Amino acid sequence: MTKEPIDLWIERHEKDPEAELKEKTERFLRAAQLKVPDRVPVAGVGGDFLCRYTGITWYDMSYNLEKIPGAVLKFVHDFPSDWSIIFAPMLLEGFVFALAFADYPDFSNTIRFLCGPVHDILKDKWSQWPGREIKEDMHPQFRGGEFMKPEEYGKFIEDPVEFIHDTILPRACPGLGEPGSSRWNAAWIRVGMTMQKIGAFQTQLFGELIKRGNAAFPITNAYTPADVIGDFLRYPTGAMLDMRRTPRDFKAACDALVEHILKVATAVPPAPPATFFFIPLHLNEMLPPKLYGEFYWPQLKKIIEVLVSKGYKGFVFFEGDHSPHVDTILELPKGWGIAWFERPRDFVAVWEKLKGHTTVMGGVPVSLIASGTPKQIDEYIKNLMVKIKPEGGFVLSPGVNELPADTPVANVRAYINAALKYGAY
Amino acid sequence: MLDELLRAVLDLSEGKALELTKKLVESGEDPLKILDCVRAAADEIGKKFEKGEYFVADLVMAGEILKGISEIVTPKLREAGKKRKAVGKLLIGTVEGDIHDIGKNIVITMAEASGFEVVDLGVDVPPEKFVEAIKQHNPDIVGLSGLLTLAIDSMKKTVDAIKAAGLRDKVKIIIGGGRVDEYVKEYTGADAWASDAATGIRIMIKLMEEKRGG
Repeated sequence: MTKEPIDLWIERHEKDPEAELKEKTERFLRAAQLKVPDRVPVAGVGGDFLCRYTGITWYDMSYNLEKIPGAVLKFVHDFPSDWSIIFAPMLLEGFVFALAFADYPDFSNTIRFLCGPVHDILKDKWSQWPGREIKEDMHPQFRGGEFMKPEEYGKFIEDPVEFIHDTILPRACPGLGEPGSSRWNAAWIRVGMTMQKIGAFQTQLFGELIKRGNAAFPITNAYTPADVIGDFLRYPTGAMLDMRRTPRDFKAACDALVEHILKVATAVPPAPPATFFFIPLHLNEMLPPKLYGEFYWPQLKKIIEVLVSKGYKGFVFFEGDHSPHVDTILELPKGWGIAWFERPRDFVAVWEKLKGHTTVMGGVPVSLIASGTPKQIDEYIKNLMVKIKPEGGFVLSPGVNELPADTPVANVRAYINAALKYGAY
Repeated sequence: MLDELLRAVLDLSEGKALELTKKLVESGEDPLKILDCVRAAADEIGKKFEKGEYFVADLVMAGEILKGISEIVTPKLREAGKKRKAVGKLLIGTVEGDIHDIGKNIVITMAEASGFEVVDLGVDVPPEKFVEAIKQHNPDIVGLSGLLTLAIDSMKKTVDAIKAAGLRDKVKIIIGGGRVDEYVKEYTGADAWASDAATGIRIMIKLMEEKRGG
């Protein structure tokens, strides 16, 4: 059997992981700095496909720490990439917890994501986990919910951190009981103990991943104020209605959140060569430009600008079709960071607008990898590279890094092969 | 005043639209005419969305307004002993493994405003439940909704189950959600796809026209 580019790349990882690590780090950083690397970096994949391929369940990925390293290490060995987001154990949105403890930088960022074992303690209603509320082979899911009434904006605006801690957490997390009760204190002690265990696990796993030639960069976390309200307090539809029904309150609430989000983000100090701040956007594509320009972008822009001025680099996931708002990104300082686009209606048009200003990530529809043929994937990426490659500042990636379970292995290999074949500058 | 109501809905002026509706009802306007206005508004909103003039947040607001109007008008309709003739029957649910329902709920609101009778199966609906519900409700259209990438596999399994039950020719199947497209439509064996509610409604209305025409 003739070896394909991916097979040769796997062999290079096996022979000299250190050289691979160095090359990948350099390649990714150059792309993030809008420079031309030796080859277009290719981002990794995972999700249900990882579980199916390695034979573990979502329950295992969420709770069974012994089973995770074997699966993850096999997966990244068989499907190498230049940079991959790996949630091991699986994590879901939990920025509200970081906000509740925004004044404690020694751990606020540590509890920014929710994991299954912490969910078991808090019994939060925001998320559902395999082997708990949903079946063992089901993907953990963030559901959100309405935990604040529109008439409570006033109290929230007065002190968002205290309001989240004292009022929202007890409503959304029955496992906590009343603030100050022994149940409340015990729950938080348990969360601390659990996070220590998971932190140690992650340190070890990431050490192992790096040893095998996988690049990793320090990451801190921020959020868009309007998404805090939509995801954790009012449900997305509630937030969208509030923008119209109680616009002054909504805007004041967004403004009030900015400083606290910055406190959480700066809890991890920037370190060379680059510390990225991750912000996943949720309401963005759903808002008309008028609402986006009033209730979403000004606060998000402020957060990005402050963090960039402090020496961080941005890594923002633009969920959905962000095309109508792409121009606003040009208001940010050149080289501010990486913009990952899920499914803009015309990826090349987005690229044309942002090239030389913003590092653009994405370009490959998940559906193409999931349900196309290897030949279609090869041709698609070949054509895309012709249009995009000359400038630098580009990272090839699917719209999201999660692939369905039934994705053919040959398709994922075709995606990586095409990056290796057509990505060299 | 009906024109004024239509304009208020399209301007997304909630207070004004509901006030006008109350006035219309009080002045003895035919409830069916008000509901026709709702249908026309839904149609216009869909068009605006497809043209890129409206966004999801606008659909959510418009949906709330249309729901508010229906709530005022429906009791009057019942009092008058009248019934609105449905455009068609839609059976809809979020497919197995996915518990997200924002998109599905927008579709339901808009479909009802457009005159569809809707049966909502909720979220995380297994293929066999869709099959049972088709037998029970005999819908014209089956809507499979899903946000996560895993929904792609569940949609395929659901279409396969409908086929295996011998019901595939009885219904049109439309898949909807942020991650569906032409590739996914082919893969799942659905009849149509839409990544937004407005397009979905337009397609469903067209499917019903074809059904009546054929």
